[in-house]
Amino acid sequence: MPELIPFRWPAEWKDASRLELIKGTPINCLVGDVRPPFPLGDLQFFPNDGLPADIAVREGAWPRVLLAATKKDAAEAGATGAPWVDSNAGLIRIAQLMEPGKPVWLSTRPPAGKEVVPLEEFARAVAEACTYGARWMIAPDGPFRGELEKRGETGLREWKRVVSALNLFDRHPEWRSWAPVAALAVVSDFAGDNKLMAEEFLILAPRRHLAYRAIRKADAAKASLSGVKAILYLDGAPPEGEIREKFLEFARAGGLLISPRGVVAEEPKETFLNYRIHRLGKGRVAVPKEAWYDPFLLVAEVQLLLSNRENVVQVWNGGSMNSHLLASPKNDRAVVHLIPYSSGRTQAVTLGFSKPYRSARICTLDGEKVVRPVRGQIGTEVPVGEFSTYAAVELEA
Amino acid sequence: MRSCDSVFPWSRRQWLAVAASGLTGVARAAAPSSKVALARCRAYGKAVTPALRRMFDQLGGIGRLVSGKTVAIKINMANPLLARTGHTPAWFTRWSHPDVIGAAVQLFGEAGATRIRILESSTEDDNPLEENFLIGGWDPAPLLTAAPHVEMENTGSLGYGKKYHRITVPEKPYIYPGFDVNHSYVECDVLVSISKLKEHLKAGLSLSLENMVGIIPPAIYGDAAPYDDPSPRSYGARTMLHTGHRQPSATAPAEVDQATPREFGYRVPRVIADIVRARPVNLAIIDGIETQTTAEVAALEPGDKRQIRLVKPGILVVGWNPVCTDAVAAAAIGFDPMADRGKAPFENCDSMLKVAEEAGIGTRDLSKIEMVGAALREVGFPFRG
Repeated sequence: MPELIPFRWPAEWKDASRLELIKGTPINCLVGDVRPPFPLGDLQFFPNDGLPADIAVREGAWPRVLLAATKKDAAEAGATGAPWVDSNAGLIRIAQLMEPGKPVWLSTRPPAGKEVVPLEEFARAVAEACTYGARWMIAPDGPFRGELEKRGETGLREWKRVVSALNLFDRHPEWRSWAPVAALAVVSDFAGDNKLMAEEFLILAPRRHLAYRAIRKADAAKASLSGVKAILYLDGAPPEGEIREKFLEFARAGGLLISPRGVVAEEPKETFLNYRIHRLGKGRVAVPKEAWYDPFLLVAEVQLLLSNRENVVQVWNGGSMNSHLLASPKNDRAVVHLIPYSSGRTQAVTLGFSKPYRSARICTLDGEKVVRPVRGQIGTEVPVGEFSTYAAVELEA
Repeated sequence: MRSCDSVFPWSRRQWLAVAASGLTGVARAAAPSSKVALARCRAYGKAVTPALRRMFDQLGGIGRLVSGKTVAIKINMANPLLARTGHTPAWFTRWSHPDVIGAAVQLFGEAGATRIRILESSTEDDNPLEENFLIGGWDPAPLLTAAPHVEMENTGSLGYGKKYHRITVPEKPYIYPGFDVNHSYVECDVLVSISKLKEHLKAGLSLSLENMVGIIPPAIYGDAAPYDDPSPRSYGARTMLHTGHRQPSATAPAEVDQATPREFGYRVPRVIADIVRARPVNLAIIDGIETQTTAEVAALEPGDKRQIRLVKPGILVVGWNPVCTDAVAAAAIGFDPMADRGKAPFENCDSMLKVAEEAGIGTRDLSKIEMVGAALREVGFPFRG
């Protein structure tokens, strides 16, 4: 059965001619309050209150840099002092972790009221969800709907970009099966008292391009740690039993274990940042001096404990942008998804990789181009250039 | 005061304050002069160390300066760390190139320095400085082994120190009577400024003098600095130095006279003169092998008619005195170091060279500076020519 690609059908659209909009696009199912009063052909229909049970639906955020409501052109300061970004990366990955195997749909609606939503943001919402292996229930709300109804030039141009984003991912179904590349594994039960810190970590880590692989504590004993250089054990109490032994063995073999106090008995020999560092075999165990309380600070500390040397992607001139690196099972092909959360064109973006790649193809909503990776002082650099809304960088080793 | 005319919208109150401060452009004792070496060095890599060695020799040798001493090197690694001019790494455009830093470290080690500390602050983090090299895309490991006992420190906050140290302007400060800085700038015997040969959008030049603004910790002087105690973490641009819109955290010295002009072009040259008098530079090295014109930033504001060009002047400038060294470097890129406000590169500000000269730091008059090595006319590379 093909993957369902949803579109919220406005109840006001009672004319079958409106179907022209989605004809020939990858959209294959409609969602709405009432079934449209005309034949739908191959399209499936689901009422809002009757979505398939095997789909994990989450109400996400409208993906963008949040502008201060009262200050024109001023970005809302986030935890970092940098602009606050509403992103669904963490939300989607948490949903995938907690409900494995289920497709994830975002039910996000564009901001309503007096707020003006740039139409280009609709394509971003599609691309962002696809980047992380989810689907946005495309909602042509507000002025966008008005533009589409009158078949205005601006509306149709932006709709074309929405479809362009869907088509791009449709042409690359393999991306959806590739695994995130990360040197960090984040382990937690993501429940109870641990839920807030663990989830916030997953939500905030992409802001620093800190790639991770999330593992549920229940799966940790059997989980592969291939390629992992550090484990962050994000529960209030240290690991016990089989997991503890596995993680300590990981450290002895040269890895870094970041864990609450109590995981090792010996006195630490050194400190780094707010951590006591225990040497264990060829590796290290880092124990915070005080309980974690600030997830963004924790993200920054983990990145330094691990070192920026282990960043799987470095993004220059990225601004408020997420990057997401996925690799094929043989590790001979990879793709980096880039989502700028600001409107307009980016600066000239450059990506850096510790792994050497021999070719790179840049896919944007406006077209594709091949660029030659260049040797950087550390690893390989790919000059992506300027783009808007979304870019995928396909890499071959 | 010739530089104050109708172009500068100062209030009468500000005028009176400046006049009363006795700093109306009258030179004090003759500013000192010292040798400046100029050299052609067309590329980074292996050519840098012999070029720098020859320049040190031309200056009379660095042994007396660094032997048995702790040498602090203030490099230039301007924020944002992830900004590039186009796709070009920042060490070719805005930052001191690590090959120049590494060559200096090696030569200081060979000359007997007992401890060499590479220093820079950041307005966006308090990462170990090694991490900021990695963020820029450069592996710092070879720098740390270029000589024995090499260390790095991010000086934007306390860093590895336990407390801030006060440095004081010895005589008649322009703006600040002193500054509270990271321990590294006090717990050293020698301070070396390694800067990039570049212009500054508003201050005219960003050379070894302007590089010293980076010793001022954002934890106290940054936009996010608390009003009472310093922030535990470094964050925020040092806007108060430019605008005077607020004072540093209360633990640090406030301005001597808050009635002086709150104008960038007045303040910044004087703040720089205050910093360099409070913490003198013992050796200035300017990396002009590759750089960019026009600005110290990676991109101009939309609508700015100026253009940043990537250029390869292929020159190094080294001297004992930062004013003399900057004057020669300014001349090498086609500017008259005697230019006053209103003339390039000081179209929008007072000349930091003139202010520093008047403060007695060093002369900017090329006729009084002994230049050794390559001739200016041979290596000159006019930025606006």
